[in-house]
Amino acid sequence: MNKIDVACIIDDDPIFIFGAKRMMQLSNFCNSFMVFKNGQEAINNLKPIMNSDEAIPNVILLDINMPIMDGWQFLDEFIKIESHKSITIYIVSSSIDPVDLNRAKRYDNIKNYIIKPISFKKLESILQDV
Amino acid sequence: MSIPNIQKKSSINLLDFIQEHAAIGTWEFDTTLSQLNWSTQTKKIHEVSLDYKPNVELGLSFYKKGYSLNKIETLFTNCIENHKDFDIEIQIITQTGKEKWVRTIGTPIIENNKCIKIQGLIQDIDKKTKNSKALAIKEQQLSRTFETALVGMAIVDLEGTLIDVNKSLCKTLGYNKDEIKTLTFMDLTHPDDLRRDYAAMMRMISGKLDHYEAEKRYINKKGEIIWAQLFTTIVRDSNGQPEHFIAQINDLTLIKKSSQKVSQLLDTTENQNKRLLNFAHIVSHNLRSHYGNLDMLLDIIKMDSPETTKNEIFPLIEQAVNNLGETVKNLNEVAAINTQKDLKTESLNLLENFNKAFSSISALIINSETKISINIEPEIFVKGIPAYLDSILLNFLTNAIKYKKINEPAKIEINTEIENDFVILKIKDYGLGIDLKKHRDKLFGMYKTFHKHKDSRGLGLFITKNQVEAIGGKIEVESIVNESTTFYIYLKTYE
Repeated sequence: MNKIDVACIIDDDPIFIFGAKRMMQLSNFCNSFMVFKNGQEAINNLKPIMNSDEAIPNVILLDINMPIMDGWQFLDEFIKIESHKSITIYIVSSSIDPVDLNRAKRYDNIKNYIIKPISFKKLESILQDV
Repeated sequence: MSIPNIQKKSSINLLDFIQEHAAIGTWEFDTTLSQLNWSTQTKKIHEVSLDYKPNVELGLSFYKKGYSLNKIETLFTNCIENHKDFDIEIQIITQTGKEKWVRTIGTPIIENNKCIKIQGLIQDIDKKTKNSKALAIKEQQLSRTFETALVGMAIVDLEGTLIDVNKSLCKTLGYNKDEIKTLTFMDLTHPDDLRRDYAAMMRMISGKLDHYEAEKRYINKKGEIIWAQLFTTIVRDSNGQPEHFIAQINDLTLIKKSSQKVSQLLDTTENQNKRLLNFAHIVSHNLRSHYGNLDMLLDIIKMDSPETTKNEIFPLIEQAVNNLGETVKNLNEVAAINTQKDLKTESLNLLENFNKAFSSISALIINSETKISINIEPEIFVKGIPAYLDSILLNFLTNAIKYKKINEPAKIEINTEIENDFVILKIKDYGLGIDLKKHRDKLFGMYKTFHKHKDSRGLGLFITKNQVEAIGGKIEVESIVNESTTFYIYLKTYE
């Protein structure tokens, strides 16, 4: 099982961020994190990193419902960045609305749609996928 | 009076001619000799033979008993005693038994202040009288119909003045008859409808239009708008010249008001529905994310500090979080059924779907030693959504097994019946039964359970009912405690 180098969490919920980070540490999921509170903040920070060949995240866990710029808007911006294909994206949301589930299928970048809550099991399966 | 012979003869012929063609006969009564003479035509009117010899008693006996006879006797006596003429329309019964209207005229001949003769005429007016009587009855019927019709009616002259109106129209417009007759339809019509209605009136007068129908506004005495359905026809004389209009005016104000109310209610309902949908989304999303966090944190504690889980409170917290998760899941299901639009129904074979349901719970059926008898015609198709029908059937089957009598295996009977465009699916179990007196109202409510069963959550029937209703059906139930329960599931047949 490969350990992920950098995992990126884009979510506005501090409890989720705390929990996700803790779970990742406990399950030895990755070496380091990047955390952004909404899509806009994520785009603003990821763009320069990706264009400069710095240590880019291997995996992004993306929430849908966020203020300022939501998950879908983030994706639409994100795919405009040239090297976007090297990053695997998981939607991690509490939404079970079929509209959201179907919409996720339309993006090639999205590897899977994970319905919250996350668990050690779900993290493990991501690790196997990547 | 001296009249030359020839002239007299020809005038007698003329008299005969007139008598015959005008159906007028003459008669003469000699009071001194008490002798009655009838002319040929008089005899014909009475339908007696030409050699008939009348006398006064016989003559009077032809008059119809009652009014006619009494009247003629009075007039006859009055004529002899008081020398008064008479002229009356009454009825006789002819020799052949026919009832006939006649006009009888009598005039006394006076000599020495004594009536010596009565000369008279009798005219057959049967046809004419009957026609005019029938006409009078028709006229009366018509005018009563006009007056008491529930629809407002008016006769309007070519200038638009209301010549006559009925009660109903007076009530609609709030004027009395005399007031309304001083007004024209132009005075009563809402200004915005006047041009159109006036043009129609002109086109009817010129013959371009035969009748005119419109929904229009009147103004009543209080100045309020009255919505009405107008139907006007023009009446022409035998030369085709317009005479007047007949208008029927049906008050629509109440209908308009109630339809406005209905559309307001519809708006409100739609609004509430939207808010409810919104609420369902909020509940579904927000509650889910809070539950997700709690569940995740519990997961972390178990991993991070296993000693905490030994605390007696920890399992309770875990249970509470799981229950919350279950509730949120159920809420989502209910919201999904109720907010889904444009459900795509299809034709589903009832027996096939039953068999599918059986096979998916075959382990449960075998382990519980449940006895099931199925009697479903293989050609019954219902209208539904596969996932819903599946869930409906499964729910009733598992319920029937779950709520069996404690010490014996469950026994289930399944039958169908067709009623109009419904298939009634009857699922009868000989289990615990439900006390419907106590529980009928709550039976299909959310989170209502009647049995202390370990798996009872009380949402099954609620969801099932929603699913059945979403595909156009309904559920009825009969039950006797400790005996049996029968659910009647009405499903739409597929045309």
